[in-house]
Amino acid sequence: MGYLLTRLGLFVPMLAGVVCVVFLLVHLVPGDPARVLLGEDASPQAVAQLRHSLGLDLPLPSQFLRYLDHLLHGDLGVSMFQNVPVLDLVLGRLPATLELAAFAILVSVCLGVTLGCVAAVFQGTALDVLCLVFAQLGVSVTVFWLGILLMLAFSVELHWLPAIGRGAPLSTVLAAAVAGRPVALLDSLAHLTMPAIALGMQGAAIICRLVRSGMLEALASDYVRTARAKGVPRFAVTVRHALRNALLPTVTMIGWQFGNLLGGAVLTEGIFGWPGLGQLAVGAFSQRDLPLMQGIVLTFALIFGLVTLATDLAYGLIDPRIGSR
Amino acid sequence: MSGERIERWLAAARALALVGIVLIAESGFAAGAEEPRVIRIGTDVDAQSLDPRLQRDTTAYRLNNLIYDGLIQLDENLTPRPDLALSWLQADEKTWVFTMRRDATFHDGRPVTPDDVVYTFESIRDPALNARFRSLYEPIETVEAVGDDQVRFTLKAPYSPLLSYLDLGIVPKDARGRDLNVNPLGSGPFRFSRWERGGRIVLSANEGYFAGRPAIDEIDMILVPDNTARAQALEAGDLDLIMSPLSPQDVSRLAADRRYRHVHLPGISITYFNFNCRHPVLSDPTVRRALAMLIDQNTIVQQIYGGIDVPATSLLIPSLRWSYTPEIRQPAYNVDGARKLLAEAGWKPGADGILVKNGQRLAFTLATHAEDANRIQTIELLQNTLKQVGIDAKVSVTDWPAFIGSVQTGNYDMALLGWTILVDPDRAMYGQLSSSGSLNFGHYANAQVDALLARGRAVGELAARAQAYQSAARIIAEELPYYVLSYAGFDAFATDSLSGFAADARGFLRGLAAP
Repeated sequence: MGYLLTRLGLFVPMLAGVVCVVFLLVHLVPGDPARVLLGEDASPQAVAQLRHSLGLDLPLPSQFLRYLDHLLHGDLGVSMFQNVPVLDLVLGRLPATLELAAFAILVSVCLGVTLGCVAAVFQGTALDVLCLVFAQLGVSVTVFWLGILLMLAFSVELHWLPAIGRGAPLSTVLAAAVAGRPVALLDSLAHLTMPAIALGMQGAAIICRLVRSGMLEALASDYVRTARAKGVPRFAVTVRHALRNALLPTVTMIGWQFGNLLGGAVLTEGIFGWPGLGQLAVGAFSQRDLPLMQGIVLTFALIFGLVTLATDLAYGLIDPRIGSR
Repeated sequence: MSGERIERWLAAARALALVGIVLIAESGFAAGAEEPRVIRIGTDVDAQSLDPRLQRDTTAYRLNNLIYDGLIQLDENLTPRPDLALSWLQADEKTWVFTMRRDATFHDGRPVTPDDVVYTFESIRDPALNARFRSLYEPIETVEAVGDDQVRFTLKAPYSPLLSYLDLGIVPKDARGRDLNVNPLGSGPFRFSRWERGGRIVLSANEGYFAGRPAIDEIDMILVPDNTARAQALEAGDLDLIMSPLSPQDVSRLAADRRYRHVHLPGISITYFNFNCRHPVLSDPTVRRALAMLIDQNTIVQQIYGGIDVPATSLLIPSLRWSYTPEIRQPAYNVDGARKLLAEAGWKPGADGILVKNGQRLAFTLATHAEDANRIQTIELLQNTLKQVGIDAKVSVTDWPAFIGSVQTGNYDMALLGWTILVDPDRAMYGQLSSSGSLNFGHYANAQVDALLARGRAVGELAARAQAYQSAARIIAEELPYYVLSYAGFDAFATDSLSGFAADARGFLRGLAAP
């Protein structure tokens, strides 16, 4: 419990650091949002006027203090280009990205763990080689290319899955499905499938190799041989003993992968027209929408911090040797 | 079986039959019921503002063109046609009077009145609104309502292009608390239904539209940023219509596919090289001429742009037929000619092989923005060609805000970029190349060009305007403050559900409003 509180407490200085760094970076990068807003046709006077009304002509420390003041009151500012509060924009898009990321992790874990186990148990056979080839391809192939290929195969050629867009949020259709109306849920899952596979493939490949090597190590260890000697069935040995130990580095990997996932989501959302934060980020950065840029990076930092924390806690749960003092 | 049992079975059978009949009948109803006619259009950027005065991206232009009406509309030949204005006359060279129709209503039922027109044009000219296209309406002195169905525009000076810019969507004077940026209220053939941010914007048919309710019930503008993914979405059946920007490979593949109708129009955009005429080396027109002769226009357009665009002859745009002539031509690709020209002008190879004159090396930076891969390839190709002739060109690629910032402040040497929505030659030349023009980033100054562009703006008669612009284009093709690389092509692909679809060169979709 103490450990949890300490870790949560460390959040505050972490976020403060992020706020400072992001503010500096965003304001020091060349490119003037006033010019982008007004277009090529802008007279120098118009640009100066807009900069003044946006507070961009104030000295940097003053701008920072103003931003900090608003932030502490829960106000992330208003998007310069969309005239909508940043908080509303971010919260509006966040569920879509989280949904995509969660499913990508599911793909990574299910695919990666299964193939890793299979490769380890059938080590040296053709099956093992196949899994290793998959792992190699998985880390080599870019999200972008894989996404286009998946779309080509499953939408354009086979017409099995919708090419673009998002179905209804899972949170709303799950209740309906339980009540006996599964159509909307199936539609949402159909929209999720390709983006989640594209995004999760790299993670699956990495996890596959990790699990394989972890399991090989575990399967060769004394305690496993003891268990087999005692007559514990092979499957139980594999899953309950070997896999559990092999999962430890995997859990850390998932936490680390989440950061990658948020980045990969930017590309995936662009390909599949997925209305998430990644797309919002691309737009914000390419226009220098300063408040929106800051809000999005802050959100990503917060999520990443929470996921890292959850990973550490999960680690403690899986391995009884690691725990709070 | 006992009689009782038989009775019970018969009763059950009758009940089942009844249920069956009802179900079949209902499904028959459902099958017979009309499916709403929905058109799904793919777009590459999310709209930012659906207020026509503040619009600044192609998605917003296209949607606002459906949600709002203007005094006039530009047809596929870019000729002004009546819309909210039934007729108009030019009372004198500085006064235009428009007579409005009385049967147009906003989507909330209120009639569109001259006061709304006055409000729209006054607000867009208000500096506080920071409207991107404010400068187009700056030459207007006043806009006044006359009676209950007329609007009078009084200009500061004669301004012939005015009519082309009067397709601006008319907004209600009293929006009743609605934020038009996100909740637009117009009088057009389609009304705003909902906006799923980052996903789609949905419009539905305006039942009470004065020109007749559109045959299409709903338009979904769906965001798919990636050009290839958008093309594939069309092929997968997820979209009914896609438009430029598209990658050349997708265009040629779809053009060969008979499932889709292909519209290819010469566009109204240009890709061009902008020279900084204050640069120590590039200020010399002879150097600019030599550089023009080193640009392999045809290879660039065919190989890099996949033949979608058209090699340009001059700053005159073919889509603006009344002003265009192919006889005015920029210098053609001629490497030996360029070498000769530079040698005759006194440029000699230095110790490092780079041409030198009076101690000044022929060196500068070629710049463009990162978002367009074709433009990056173009300047890399050019860099290569220039090197062979002894010109040292460095390549600089930055993202759009950084790039346009440096161009607008004159911090560039030779930049590759474009101009869009050139519905009138004035729009392509006046601000850009008159010496006091607000878009003259390269500080080009030629008194004759100034006079010709001013004349083109002031004179009313089309032939006289054309002559002025052609004379100006001739000088520009010789002095080359701009070298126009290509006229952008416009491509659209539609499924059969859109038979009879006609886009215009701007990609506007008014054709979808047909009753």
